[in-house]
Amino acid sequence: MSSDQPGPDETRSGPAAAIRAEAVTKLFPGVIANDHVDFHVDEGEVHTLLGENGAGKSTLAAMLCGLYRPDQGRILRAGKPVNLRSPREGLAHGIGMVHQHFRLVERFTVAENVVLGDPYQASLLKQREIEGRVGELGEQFGLPVEPRALISDLTVGQRQRVEIVKMLYRGADVLLLDEPTAVLTPPEVEALFETVRAMTAVDKAVVFISHKLGEVMEISDRVTVMRAGAVTGEVATADTSPRHLAELMVGRPVEVEIRRGSNAAPGREVGIAGLGLKLSEGDQVLIDDVDIEVHRGEILGIAGVAGNGQRPIARALAGVVPPDEGTVTVYGTDVTGKGPKAARRAGLSFVPEDRLGTGLVPNLSLTDNMLLTRPRGFFVDRRAARAEVTEAIDDYEIKTPGPDAEARLLSGGNSQKVLLARELDGLGEPGGPQALIVSSPTRGLDIGAAEFVRGLLHEAREKGAAVLIISEDLDEVRSLSDRVAVLYRGSIALEGPTDELDIEEIGLAMAGFDRSAS
Amino acid sequence: MMPFQIRIERRLERKWWYSVLTPVLSVFAALLGAAIFLGIEGFDPIRVYREIFEASFTTRFGFTDSVTIAIPLILTGLAAAIVFRMNLFNIGAEGQLYFGAIFGSWAALALTDGMSWVLGTVIVMIAAAIGGALWAAPAALFKAYFGVSEIITTLMLTFIALFFMRYLIFGSGSYWRDPETTNFPQGKKIPDGARFPQWSDTRLHWGLVIVLLVTLIIWVLIKYTSIGFDMNVVGSSENSARYAGIPVKRTIIVALLISGALAGLAGGAEVAGRAYALDPNGLELGLGFTGIVVAALARYNPFGVVLVAIFIGGLRNAGIALQGLPGERIPVEVSLMLQGAILLFAIGGEVFSQNRLTITRTSSSTSGTEGAAA
Repeated sequence: MSSDQPGPDETRSGPAAAIRAEAVTKLFPGVIANDHVDFHVDEGEVHTLLGENGAGKSTLAAMLCGLYRPDQGRILRAGKPVNLRSPREGLAHGIGMVHQHFRLVERFTVAENVVLGDPYQASLLKQREIEGRVGELGEQFGLPVEPRALISDLTVGQRQRVEIVKMLYRGADVLLLDEPTAVLTPPEVEALFETVRAMTAVDKAVVFISHKLGEVMEISDRVTVMRAGAVTGEVATADTSPRHLAELMVGRPVEVEIRRGSNAAPGREVGIAGLGLKLSEGDQVLIDDVDIEVHRGEILGIAGVAGNGQRPIARALAGVVPPDEGTVTVYGTDVTGKGPKAARRAGLSFVPEDRLGTGLVPNLSLTDNMLLTRPRGFFVDRRAARAEVTEAIDDYEIKTPGPDAEARLLSGGNSQKVLLARELDGLGEPGGPQALIVSSPTRGLDIGAAEFVRGLLHEAREKGAAVLIISEDLDEVRSLSDRVAVLYRGSIALEGPTDELDIEEIGLAMAGFDRSAS
Repeated sequence: MMPFQIRIERRLERKWWYSVLTPVLSVFAALLGAAIFLGIEGFDPIRVYREIFEASFTTRFGFTDSVTIAIPLILTGLAAAIVFRMNLFNIGAEGQLYFGAIFGSWAALALTDGMSWVLGTVIVMIAAAIGGALWAAPAALFKAYFGVSEIITTLMLTFIALFFMRYLIFGSGSYWRDPETTNFPQGKKIPDGARFPQWSDTRLHWGLVIVLLVTLIIWVLIKYTSIGFDMNVVGSSENSARYAGIPVKRTIIVALLISGALAGLAGGAEVAGRAYALDPNGLELGLGFTGIVVAALARYNPFGVVLVAIFIGGLRNAGIALQGLPGERIPVEVSLMLQGAILLFAIGGEVFSQNRLTITRTSSSTSGTEGAAA
């Protein structure tokens, strides 16, 4: 790497950056997504964009690749200003983005997807030639893909490789990877990093977007941290620490210390229980014989890499899908296969992982969304719900025009707050729900709101509620839970009191290494 | 390169008056568009429009006739509105209306002889609602349990209903057919006890009261009952409904049955208020299909449906009146053309009420001059 001293005079002297954003600003209705952001990547460098959800990373990347146009400021490619009006024009300038959600046609082969929509492709496809080239690229960059395989037959990790090959095939020299590791298992992450290193070895520039500090420290040469649409710092990885990055990310010193209330003696009464749970979809096993018990006055945290069964388990326990085998009980009431309403009647609240479209109805008002999971008579009485929303807007500092605003108009963090307000209401209190399943309770929340929610969860636990937290954020799980269970491929790989499990042990279990087997 | 960039963005906030402005502007745009055609054909558009207005709205008989036609249109409009707003497209109100007429006229013939009209018409209407709901039931069940598109099934069922109704009168000596009429077969006249009385010397009948009552009930149903609430949720996001434990299949079935029942009521109202028999010729007016236009223009609002139905009723009424105009022979199709044009513009106008258009200059280097905000 060149002298890792980013200075303002770099524009005049030295080689021009592969891609540079100069004071770009992007406004969305009511939000400044990017506020005079400066950012650049040099050839042969991995530059990470780090920030919490909603910090503006993806917006910046979208402007760099031509998906959005900056409202102010400009984009320079190799020192020359460019006006990118579409991702296709971005690609013509050698800028390619691998999105979090893949853009592949499932019923086409790998090779077909690679050339799909390529403006430079001859109209007669030379199948053999394309397949050869795809294979070559795969070999050079450590991206083993079978050119003739159908996308629908590939795993998520393999699909991501196809996306990267697609960009390389079209001559991308600047690659933007938007949260590429979110969907990967630990070995796949390692393979991806090998690919990234192979790319920088041939002087390609890589923008790595992430909010996972460990990965950021491992792969990047430099890190630009964003918060609330603005850059809060740019540092060389060698000169920084995860703690420093975290501070830049959240904008204040972070207490890494675990603030778990010490509830040494949880009640013996079992609140949420799923015993012998099995669930398959087609020939894919989603839940493989899982036993879960959450006691009264206890928080159990389920950790694991995304896609190892978290969602199916939450859905099965909450009654959204009936398990193939096993039983679900809430405080002794058997609710197996009886639907979400039965589980709620037995005292279970549920915060699903997607907010809009599962927990909340996008086109309904906040008041009606508050009513969604409440018991209703023949006539709908909105008065209580309306008052509740008004209160929640105050308590959670929800930014919205009012209780009649439609839920789809809320930002991710605000819709999360509405959902939490609904599901946490009266939790643990007499007459209220006594159990809670919550996915990623603080995801997308600003620090203040996250603290507030943590406080509520602990309070509910003190009052005797049984709380099950499911999150891919290991720190979140560890800081909130009394016990931790690790999911791997649909079954529980490790379980124990949080204090007795060290982080390495948990990490190994998440990656699928079985202690007892070795 | 284009010097301008036109972008369509979703509006974040919709002012209430958009929902009034859109249909009104659509109507004006449609009148303007149709005026061009009238001009090409050699008619004076102003005069045609004035005739329409006078024939349908400003004279006493004209207006009451318009409202009379509006009675079934309100019901078919509600039938479309209640399900279209949840993205269920029952386009077979026409067939459900025929079945409502078949059931209603049977009840009239079989049950109401010598009854007071107050009771008799209610029986007719209940039978008609059952008939309409039954005819929507197959589509509802196939939609809920097998995911078969209700657009296809309701349309297909309409044709079956149409030919079945014709068969009852023209093709068989059925219970509904008047045995006295052999040359030109007609339906048996229903007894007085099954007829809505008319108001003084106009053709407007008491069915209007029932229709307005039904409108009120539907509004309450949508807005203030759990059934309506569930329908809103399922219409907006089936997945959310599933997470909340709302029975999705049952809600879809209930909604389509209500829709069918409303269309059936329209058939009953026609039998009891205008035709006084199962009269295929008199019923095949496309009232069910027009209901879709009414609902779309009313933006699926029940009270909007009433107003729009009267307006569209006026247009239809005028089509008949235009033919009798001395001097020029204005084809009856003019009013149908207008009706189509209005729908087209209304759908187009919807785009503008939900989205905003920004035109940005792209040639200048200092970009970022956004168009006016919403």
